[in-house]
Amino acid sequence: MMVKFDYLKPKTEKELAVLLAKHADEAKLMAGGTDLLVLMRDKIFKPRYVIDIKDIPELRRLEYDEHRGLRIGAAVTLNEIIASKVIREKFTALWEAAGTLADVMIRNRATLAGNICNASPASDTAPALLVLDAEVEVKSERGERKIPIREFFKGVKKTALERGEFVKAIRVPNPPKGAKGSYLKWGRTKGEDLAVVGVAALVANSGKPAVCIALSSVAPTPILVPEVQNAFEGRGSTDEKIEKAAAAVVGKICPISDVRCCKEYRLHMAGVLTRRILKQLVGAS
Amino acid sequence: MGKYSYVGKGIPRIDAFEKVTGTALYTADMKIKGMLHAKLLKSPRPHAKIVKIDTSEAEKLLGVRAILTGKEAPYKLGIYISDKEPLAREKVRYVGEPVVAVAADTEEIAEQAVELIKVEYEDLPAVFDPREAIKKGAPRVHDNPADYRHPPFIFPEPNSNVANHFKLRKGDIERGFKEADVVVENEFNQSQVQNVQMETHSSIGQWLPDGQINIWTSAQSPFAVRHLMSVALDIPLHKINVVVPYLGGGFGGKAGIHWEPLVVLLSKKAGGRPVKLVMTREEQFNTTAVRQGLFARIKTGVKKNGKITAMEIEYIWDAGAYADYGVNIGRAGGYACTGPYEVPNIKADSMTVYTNHPYATAYRGFGHVEFHWATERQMDLVARAIGMDPVEFRLKNAALPGKITATGEKLREDAGRVDQCIKAVAKEIGWGKKPARPAGKKVRGIGLAALWKAPAMPSHTSSSALVRLNEDGSATLSISLTEMGQGTPTAFAQMVAEGLQIPIEKVKVATERETDLSPYSWQTVASRGLFMDGNAVINAVEDAKNQIKATAAELLKVPKGSLVVGDGRVFVKGKPDKGLPLSAIATAGVRPDGSGVRGPIMGYGYYTAEGLTNLDPETGQGRPALMWTFGAQGAEIELDTETGDIRILKIVTALDVGKAINPQLVESQIIGGVVQGLGTAIMEEFVFDDNGKLLNNNLTDYKIFRAHDIPEKFVPIIIENPQRNAPYGARGIGEHPTISVAAAVANAIYNATGVDIFDLPMSREKVWRAVHKGCKK
Repeated sequence: MMVKFDYLKPKTEKELAVLLAKHADEAKLMAGGTDLLVLMRDKIFKPRYVIDIKDIPELRRLEYDEHRGLRIGAAVTLNEIIASKVIREKFTALWEAAGTLADVMIRNRATLAGNICNASPASDTAPALLVLDAEVEVKSERGERKIPIREFFKGVKKTALERGEFVKAIRVPNPPKGAKGSYLKWGRTKGEDLAVVGVAALVANSGKPAVCIALSSVAPTPILVPEVQNAFEGRGSTDEKIEKAAAAVVGKICPISDVRCCKEYRLHMAGVLTRRILKQLVGAS
Repeated sequence: MGKYSYVGKGIPRIDAFEKVTGTALYTADMKIKGMLHAKLLKSPRPHAKIVKIDTSEAEKLLGVRAILTGKEAPYKLGIYISDKEPLAREKVRYVGEPVVAVAADTEEIAEQAVELIKVEYEDLPAVFDPREAIKKGAPRVHDNPADYRHPPFIFPEPNSNVANHFKLRKGDIERGFKEADVVVENEFNQSQVQNVQMETHSSIGQWLPDGQINIWTSAQSPFAVRHLMSVALDIPLHKINVVVPYLGGGFGGKAGIHWEPLVVLLSKKAGGRPVKLVMTREEQFNTTAVRQGLFARIKTGVKKNGKITAMEIEYIWDAGAYADYGVNIGRAGGYACTGPYEVPNIKADSMTVYTNHPYATAYRGFGHVEFHWATERQMDLVARAIGMDPVEFRLKNAALPGKITATGEKLREDAGRVDQCIKAVAKEIGWGKKPARPAGKKVRGIGLAALWKAPAMPSHTSSSALVRLNEDGSATLSISLTEMGQGTPTAFAQMVAEGLQIPIEKVKVATERETDLSPYSWQTVASRGLFMDGNAVINAVEDAKNQIKATAAELLKVPKGSLVVGDGRVFVKGKPDKGLPLSAIATAGVRPDGSGVRGPIMGYGYYTAEGLTNLDPETGQGRPALMWTFGAQGAEIELDTETGDIRILKIVTALDVGKAINPQLVESQIIGGVVQGLGTAIMEEFVFDDNGKLLNNNLTDYKIFRAHDIPEKFVPIIIENPQRNAPYGARGIGEHPTISVAAAVANAIYNATGVDIFDLPMSREKVWRAVHKGCKK
């Protein structure tokens, strides 16, 4: 059961910006609604206005340009992302992450923008966007701006969005040529679950490896661990470097114990998944 | 061509089409003219005095039709111990307990009204661990359980938290341990879990101004609801009509009585308008009933030759705030406490204990899943202590025909054969063969566990059935055993087709159960339906055949004894053309002159449990079991030592079913039961905060087995040693496939890693922790 609210469905970005400026304090934006409606049912959110963005044609676009990269509109669903050949081939970490989020039925509605705006520490797509160095296109009545994804998450359920701002799209630049990416998720079950730990990695290997790793469910926000790059500088076997990288990850993260599992297990699994993903991408001896 | 035409055949479920196409009707689907919707105000405290309830703001809300508090409903409900009222009165005993109920025009208004009600509480000390609750001076959940109405076979301890103390004393326990070469003692533990029926508890109640009460409800047992309602509210039985459509799963959680009195009382207060209550999933977890937790301590004395000489057993059940069913689960766990073995000397105490957790009830297995976790782990641990193979050890002590059970019952010659089940599983799981060694940090192992269970019920329960012959020669069967997924009505249709020798397509089992119209059956519980209602169906078919023959004998002018029924006809044996079609005599026979003979054919049959007795209050000796169904289960697992993940490669279940009326349905029962058992073995667990609040009251954080998690291979093995007094020899198996999977998996974990697990569930994290610590006992 939910509180009463007015349902608004603007047709243009401009109309949306106006509505949001007018009702910002009492409104919630809805894309797929897969997080919002649950929070409203639990009365955690009691908005007077729910503004549905799915009728805005610009926000429904999924575009790829060889030079500018990928642009995913805020109303594009995860299943649309999963169906995209270019995302599967060039943005594999994102493609894999999208495929682990909830289940097929949820993914029919859930959006990438919704997933990052919900700003859950357990977001599956956030680590992928972090390693891919995505950028969030944001608009309000005041104008437009771009927020690097690395600056987007400000805390549990908190983002860098300001009053009256909404996400238009997520831009993902082309990864370096030949780069390989992946996302490994560990839950309590083999099927649908929230991440106990999620690890995304991007490895470019032109001369020396450039390694980037980000994780979910191990800190108040999804986090990037730039320190893993140091592990791949200098001498040593690949196995040793991977061990160093795993140690860097475990040293950087600060998971908590909660109803899903204990801190120690998260620390341990972050190390395990880091080793696994790097062995898969960098290769092991 | 077998002995039978329909019995023993894998006939598809008769309700499959309805269910698959979505036309099958459930209580939550029902709408009745003028119907109101109920919502509950629930306690946020685990144990507190209700100081004041202020409903004034809620009363002002437009569309609110009735607000009910505990003071207006001082009725004690229960089947085994009447310790619960429709709403908390004077004090609350668990977080989630309903305190006030509102009926309103819509669910939204009812919920809004609930939010406007203010309750003032005064906290009382709470107790959550049943081991603490039995100590002197522990906070008292109920003043005096002995004051509550209970049958003579339940033993509440006065002025304590013990709702039932079942005692079993067999032989001489001291001598037994003296004779032992080795004594092994262990403790095992598991938390409360929930049945997680797909359909939550749903009830509609109507108390009409003329005193007639109508109920539509997702209850397993319409007659139990009617009876318990009548006793609690002091209303004549004939004034109550209970209708039960299909159930979307029960698993014991909808046995007995639950929320029916509440909706009926709300209806009375709302002037007789029907009131519907459908539990939310969250309420299903911590407002309605759950499964008891169990702490078990077992001490086993054994000779070096493998003979068990003594067992000292302590089962302490976490019944939660109310123990209506918990007391009988404690009793059942007590009389079956050894598992399927002969043990000469036993001292067992099975105590059902009140705590400030959610209240527990029946759950598929009725205590047996819980205590077999302890006994079947213990069997492996004892075998190891004397250096004996666990399969050989089990066979050496097996409860075979002629052996004496814990309650002093000599197993009959046609009892099932646990040894055959154990051997079949051992062979199929590759016992004695070295498991394959996978690459990396993965290890493999196999484990085995045996099981037994009899229906746990009062000694004299009964069932009945009606078979009507229709004008076209088809037949309609009426029963009160409900259909909640188990498929028993399909087996009954086969029995009717077999008995009347008509095509199964010409048999209908009436869908709704309605106490005003349907024949009596005690309850749809305990894996008793196929056996008891099945015997009633067979007797009803026999009665119908007798009536058919009586009419035909008059018309054909032949002795009744010369007639047989078959191929849709009744005819003189050996002379098929000297006879009549069944259609010609369904409503009455007709003489050549047009006059009628006798009347509509309606066969009635009943069956009452035979040879059962109450058990001795001090020694637990007597006859509790209508039939024992024996079995064994085996698991082959692959364990990732790096993550604690268990992959179940193969799970084997052998049950001595006596006779499989429908092997296809037996196999689906086995697969479903195994999956449910694995859920509680590997994932399911209630996680509470320090104040007794359930932290995972949703399917986000209470994980159950889903398609990705199920074993890669199921092997059901049907063993058939028929039981004489059973329908076609068949025993019940509805609960049994859940019983020993947990122990089989844990025994496989030891086999793979050398690590013992004592607490459930065997989640990835817990297994990792155990393997990591190498926690050998």
